[in-house]
Amino acid sequence: MGSVAYPLVVALWLLPLAGAVLCWAFGPRLRSACGWLAAGLVGVSFLLAVASWGSATQNLGGVLGAHQPLVSWMPGFDFGLLLDPLSLIWTFIITGVGFLIVFYSIGYMDGDRAFARFFAYMSFFMFAMLTLVLSDNFVGLLVGWGLVGLASYFLIGFWFERRSAVAAARKAFVINVVGDVGMMFAIFLIVANVHSIGFGDVFAAAPGLSDKLVFAICLALFIGAAAKSAQVPLHTWLPDAMEGPTPVSALIHAATMVTAGVYLVARCAPLWNHSGSAQLLVATIGGVTALGGAILGTAQWDIKRILAYSTMSQIGYMIMGVGVGAYEGGVAHFFTHAFFKAQLFLGAGLVIHALHNEQDIRAMGGLWRRMPFAFWVMLTGVLSICGVPGFSGFFSKDAVIYGALQHGHPWIYAVDIVTAGITAYYMFRMLFVAFLGEYRGEAAPDRAGRESEHGTHAPGWVMNVPVAVLVVPSVAVGGALMFGGDNSPWSRFFAPLYGTPSSRAIAVPPISEGVTSLVVFLTVIAGFAIAWQRYASRGAQADAPARLRRETERMPAVLTNLFYVDWVIERLIVRPAQRLGELFGRVVDPHVLDGAVRDLVFWARWLGTLVRSFQTGLVRAYALILVAGAACFVVYYAVAAGLR
Amino acid sequence: MPVPTGHYVALAAVIFFIGVLGVIVRRNPLIMLMSIELMLNAGNLLLVAFARAWLQNAGQIFAFIVITVAAAEAAIGLAIIVTTFRPARFVDVDDVRSLHG
Repeated sequence: MGSVAYPLVVALWLLPLAGAVLCWAFGPRLRSACGWLAAGLVGVSFLLAVASWGSATQNLGGVLGAHQPLVSWMPGFDFGLLLDPLSLIWTFIITGVGFLIVFYSIGYMDGDRAFARFFAYMSFFMFAMLTLVLSDNFVGLLVGWGLVGLASYFLIGFWFERRSAVAAARKAFVINVVGDVGMMFAIFLIVANVHSIGFGDVFAAAPGLSDKLVFAICLALFIGAAAKSAQVPLHTWLPDAMEGPTPVSALIHAATMVTAGVYLVARCAPLWNHSGSAQLLVATIGGVTALGGAILGTAQWDIKRILAYSTMSQIGYMIMGVGVGAYEGGVAHFFTHAFFKAQLFLGAGLVIHALHNEQDIRAMGGLWRRMPFAFWVMLTGVLSICGVPGFSGFFSKDAVIYGALQHGHPWIYAVDIVTAGITAYYMFRMLFVAFLGEYRGEAAPDRAGRESEHGTHAPGWVMNVPVAVLVVPSVAVGGALMFGGDNSPWSRFFAPLYGTPSSRAIAVPPISEGVTSLVVFLTVIAGFAIAWQRYASRGAQADAPARLRRETERMPAVLTNLFYVDWVIERLIVRPAQRLGELFGRVVDPHVLDGAVRDLVFWARWLGTLVRSFQTGLVRAYALILVAGAACFVVYYAVAAGLR
Repeated sequence: MPVPTGHYVALAAVIFFIGVLGVIVRRNPLIMLMSIELMLNAGNLLLVAFARAWLQNAGQIFAFIVITVAAAEAAIGLAIIVTTFRPARFVDVDDVRSLHG
């Protein structure tokens, strides 16, 4: 209907699947070629995405983007692929950052027994994620939603000989399924009231739906978004998900999959625009998650867990951004976060790889002298995530924070500024403890290019190049695209979808954007100063091991127990469920269900015994009964006749 | 002077009960078969008697059909008796009770 078909998007979508199938089927024969194959196919997919720029942004007769129909089932249930500015941005990140991370994995996973399986899973994940963002309907979205959860499960539990990895994978899967069920209920509500699953039909019908209904749909959708994007209280799986290989953490649990919730809210903007209470809910949850994740990040010692909590916190920012209605702001933060968080994870991967899987920053220290490349990578990543002016994170984070004020949420605005300061504190804490001072570990870090006695070797060019490439956008993309308010390339790119940012703002804030940036920067400086004073100043460096030990011992219980969220879930849900299961196993099943069956058998047998005693086998007895019966009839009719 | 119909009915009733008693009391299958024939013929007598009384020939024809069926039944009954009791030295229906419950 006016939109342009674009068959190339099908190729873009299916190439990673081809990679997965090839790696899976011919893994043992392809061996190390698997990595190059998977990376190559994703790379081609990325080039196709770049080539699709024009088709995705064209605006023909009011219809935005390219729409490729695939299957028509029945009226209202058409499946197809939709490439518009929003899905294009996600496709860029999935295939582009995905390509770099798969490339990096060739080095990182080198020597792993399940080399081919890893690349099959990674390719499968990218196919699933593309299904999620390219679908033009809610059911296709849910299919992608489920498949990325499955891919995440496979990859968290990749080293399945580790008990903790298996437990983490299971936890992630179960919590994600809670979200999937929420999504499913949203789709039930949509189908029952709109009789269509297509985005276009649903959004066109949104103004006609009642407020309560729209709120219910948004709530159910957001349960899915919260589970996938690790929002409070469904966030507990994300830190545990760090059991997977580091490239997995970078791609799935930082750059792409966990931002699916942001995509969902941004995609369903027409629904959220019709329900102020749904927006408030999403924005509040996002703000709480941003703050909670940041606070927990200050108490971690595992480098990947610090990054996991920072991911949770940054996704809180994004969710808050799309929640208040600053859609392009939230998506901008997703865009820059994908670069600098992937960079931070891959940088952490360089360190972990060189230190023979040591992840505790207390056992690091002084690494900047031994691994200067990793240090500079981490430093630029930290500067970007903290929102230091000039770096990408600055532009996107400011868009989100200022968006909260523009859309009339001063409290969330305040929480975000505080969170920015805490972010600076824990990110610099990680950087200082791991890279400054004296080396405190036992494992000897390898020099570049030299084989160590353990058989692992320091990161080669295969691992360094993707990280170096990522540094460029994580430093520059924000300034290049997101500077200039309504007239920035970014705002103009999204204007056909959402309108310009200031046209949607409901309030003219008393504080200007410049002052906001200044205040955020000052809190960042404060966070940095505290981290410097505690971990990097000369006094702190002098007795670093003792200080770190003291800090570990004096860590408040509320932080080491992660705000007791796991504890509460354990008490409120897991244990009652187990009790219920035990009750059914001990009482209901043996006594009620089995008992009913046993009783039935008993009475059937009793009745059979009774009745078969009549079957004497004596012909004459049968004859007698026959005659007696006939006599009864005769007597009955005789009496009846007599009475008449 | 014709015989009243009631006499035929009474005679048929007597013959029928002799047949019933024979089936119930005797244990020789041949005698039991003959008793069944008696009961059938009591029925035949009634059919013919009422046909005569009401001047309707259908009863006569039914009697012939019953005789035919009785002949077939006797043939089958005798065949069953012969095959059932061939291994036994005495014929007694009470010995054949393998279908008891």
